[in-house]
Amino acid sequence: MIVARSLFSTFRSAPGATLATLAIAALFAYAFLVPLFTADPFQLAGMSIMDSFTPPLWMDGGNPAFPLGADDQGRNIITAMAYGLRTSIVVGVSAVLIGLVLGGALGLLAGFVGGRTDAVIMRIADVQLAYPALLLAMVIDGIATAVVGRERSATLAIAIVIFAIGIAFWVQFARTIRSSVLVERDQDYVAAAQITGRSKLAIVMWHILPNVMAPVLVIATINLGIAIITEATLSFLGIGIPLTHPSLGALIRNGNAFLQSGEWWISAWPCLVLVVLVIAVNVLGDHLRDHFNPKLRGRS
Amino acid sequence: MKLEGVDVKAVSKTFGGKAGAFERLLGRTPRGLRAVRDVSFSISRGEVLGLVGESGCGKSTLARVIGGLLEPTGGDIAFRGVKPRLQMVFQDPFSSLNGRWRVDDIIAEPIRTHRLRPKGEVAGRVAELLEQVGLSPADGVKYPQAFSGGQRQRISIARALAGEPDFLILDEPTSALDVSVQAQILNLLRDLQSRLGLTSLFITHNLSVVRLMADRVGVMYLGELVELASADDIFTNPKHPYTRLLIDAAPDLDPIDRTLHPIPGELPDPSRPPSGCSFRTRCPYAQPLCAETPPPLRWEAAREVRCHFDLTPKSLSVPA
Amino acid sequence: MMEQPLLSVRHLSIGLSRQGTQLPVLNDVSFDVAPGEVLGVVGESGAGKSVAGAAIIDLLVPPLRRTAGEIALRGDRLDLMSPRQMHRVRGKRVGFIFQDPMTSLNPVLSIGKQLKDTMRTHLRLGSSELHGRALDWVTRVGLPNPERILKAAPHELSGGQRQRIVIALALCAEPEIVIADEPTTALDVSVQAQMLDLMRLLHKETGTAMVLITHDLGVVAKMADRVAVFYAGRLIEIASTRALFQSPRHPYTAGLIGATPAPDGQGGMQVVAIPGAMPGVDALPPGCAFHPRCPRAQADCRTVVPPLVVLGTGEAACLHPLPERTAA
Repeated sequence: MIVARSLFSTFRSAPGATLATLAIAALFAYAFLVPLFTADPFQLAGMSIMDSFTPPLWMDGGNPAFPLGADDQGRNIITAMAYGLRTSIVVGVSAVLIGLVLGGALGLLAGFVGGRTDAVIMRIADVQLAYPALLLAMVIDGIATAVVGRERSATLAIAIVIFAIGIAFWVQFARTIRSSVLVERDQDYVAAAQITGRSKLAIVMWHILPNVMAPVLVIATINLGIAIITEATLSFLGIGIPLTHPSLGALIRNGNAFLQSGEWWISAWPCLVLVVLVIAVNVLGDHLRDHFNPKLRGRS
Repeated sequence: MKLEGVDVKAVSKTFGGKAGAFERLLGRTPRGLRAVRDVSFSISRGEVLGLVGESGCGKSTLARVIGGLLEPTGGDIAFRGVKPRLQMVFQDPFSSLNGRWRVDDIIAEPIRTHRLRPKGEVAGRVAELLEQVGLSPADGVKYPQAFSGGQRQRISIARALAGEPDFLILDEPTSALDVSVQAQILNLLRDLQSRLGLTSLFITHNLSVVRLMADRVGVMYLGELVELASADDIFTNPKHPYTRLLIDAAPDLDPIDRTLHPIPGELPDPSRPPSGCSFRTRCPYAQPLCAETPPPLRWEAAREVRCHFDLTPKSLSVPA
Repeated sequence: MMEQPLLSVRHLSIGLSRQGTQLPVLNDVSFDVAPGEVLGVVGESGAGKSVAGAAIIDLLVPPLRRTAGEIALRGDRLDLMSPRQMHRVRGKRVGFIFQDPMTSLNPVLSIGKQLKDTMRTHLRLGSSELHGRALDWVTRVGLPNPERILKAAPHELSGGQRQRIVIALALCAEPEIVIADEPTTALDVSVQAQMLDLMRLLHKETGTAMVLITHDLGVVAKMADRVAVFYAGRLIEIASTRALFQSPRHPYTAGLIGATPAPDGQGGMQVVAIPGAMPGVDALPPGCAFHPRCPRAQADCRTVVPPLVVLGTGEAACLHPLPERTAA
């Protein structure tokens, strides 16, 4: 697509964004490739108490088999983090997609139909904005857990967390798409399609939607960072994802207990990976926003 | 069955003027903006009807009402014969083409929507249309951003022709273009008109352009049709003072007679039109009667005039 | 040709920097404006006429930049002045009128304040005298109820009224020359004629010279003493208004006149299009920039850039100019 091509050409003049993209690519590769070649360290077979609290390689007592050290259960930190990162990414991306699809549909509806539909959707959005996303996610997770019961499967628990975070994100997507739709629907190309006799649904899907995707992409990227942090926070608080499928947040929580006794590496490495991932995602989001903002384009 | 003609019957369009919750609470009705007031005319098959007037006269609103993009608040549009296929060419060459679509998809859209050609023939038809409007079939793979304003207007025209319209609305199709490009587009439209015999409504603020393009011309002022006659009659023998003054006001290219003929005053607020005749506040010939009674539309041979008086054109010039 | 020009532009070139290269937006343009003269500058969008006007008052915005040339106002070199000195020239010695009145008016200040501020900056006047002058200017530009207008904010006036105020602002400091860039383009036909009439009246009263930049040939036919025609960044013809319209020597000028719809003398209307389009500054053809569209082009037009040479009473940049047409 033309967007992608012109986007890559702007990377040359933005080294920060290039670096961020490379970092994201590397972290994704790490998260999805390492589990292909290793046994799941969070299954009983993956643990070896003998190796617990092995420090990183360069410290006294370091072991070449555990370059970044091992945790309290003797899991290799490098492997454990790959699994944790994978969960974090899967939850973050899925939550953003849920917010995008839900918010996108409601935003299109509000913007194109207008009138009472618009008023109802936007008032609900206003009410939801009064509550912090984290609080909302906790409430939704709590309610869903109560409904399903404690005896839930791991997959269902993850789905509930994804849903809880995703719900918190729809408002921003809906508002952005609605305001873009309000601008686009008065353009003459929409009038031309109307005169040609295309249906309202076809006009929304084929004409308006492609023209409002640019700001959506920006918000999706920035929200990905927020979603990953939100999930990490939930896991750190011990809500949501079961310990058999830990995310970065759960790894940090686990290591937190040993910070006082000097085993810093158990929580520090996942912290570092989380920080790098979120910063990279935000830098990329900022770059996309500048790229799609015609007022900023062309400025050196 | 073919489209036999278009009848615009007493069409009015008022924007606003509906009381919202707050106004209802206060017992008020806001004053609406009466953009089009009780306009009637007919366009017969194969005819080009021109509409001229200055900004705010309601000509573009009327175009959108006739095109079905706006609901009239009064009157209706009747198409004689069949339910017609409509197409429209817009003023702004930038907002009228979807920047995310390739040119061949833009032009193919009306063909696909109305299933005017079997699937396998669409690409050939698009190439043919591109050539017809003076572009190359190879241009189809590009996006609108790759084209200049004049070329974009050609793409718009190709899209309109692709719909094989029974009725074509052209809303200021050359107003955003430079004069040399405007000339190309006007010649293209004239050529297409003579070959395809399109029934069309041509809207412009430029009197020379409407004289070049239209068979009959309607002149609008403050939402009303003030005169309607053949293009020749309008320009050689205008009967309404506004028509006369408007023709004189546009500077021609004569460097020797450099007299300017401004129309005094400014357009009144369309939400508070003057009593009686809407042009009386700027009319050099206004009489007390003009403030009291709105002039009816008078018929005179094939002409309609909305003025109380007969204008003897030759003697007419603006009093100093 | 002229003794002591008021404004003299010599070899003016303006470049557009893009990715390290300079694109010639304006190329080696020279012209004079005599005291009290109205010079019309015409051309299509992108021909360079507006940047030429902006360069005179040093209002070029990067990436546009003056790359060469001298600009002198009564012998004072504007191109050598510091930004501070230029600030004093702008408004005082050179007035300007832009297409959109809202860009020239401060939306939060009253009309009276803006008029008085302009006069206070450039003229030595007491405050009572300032008020009297402001009232006088509002009356002179034909606005009723001047006391009320002085108190009004720009948004309370109509488009035509605002453009009248912009004209008053341009003239109230008694400049020697006014640069008017598309002053009537945003206006309707009826109001445009009013504004031209007003500009002509004030021009007669004040004797201020004017550079009138427009794409509308009708406006220059009625207003200008001489006309300069721009094409693809070059001045291609300059002549007295009468000579230019009656006997254009450059084929592009003739094409531009022919492209304006006009009566054909047999009761009909005609319009003759120039084929093709004006090239962008990044795609200028070699030789004469007009040769790909020119009906008179010959082999040498593709290689030689024609210089501006004296032809009859005017000047044109064409290797094979049209013969002089004598007035019938």
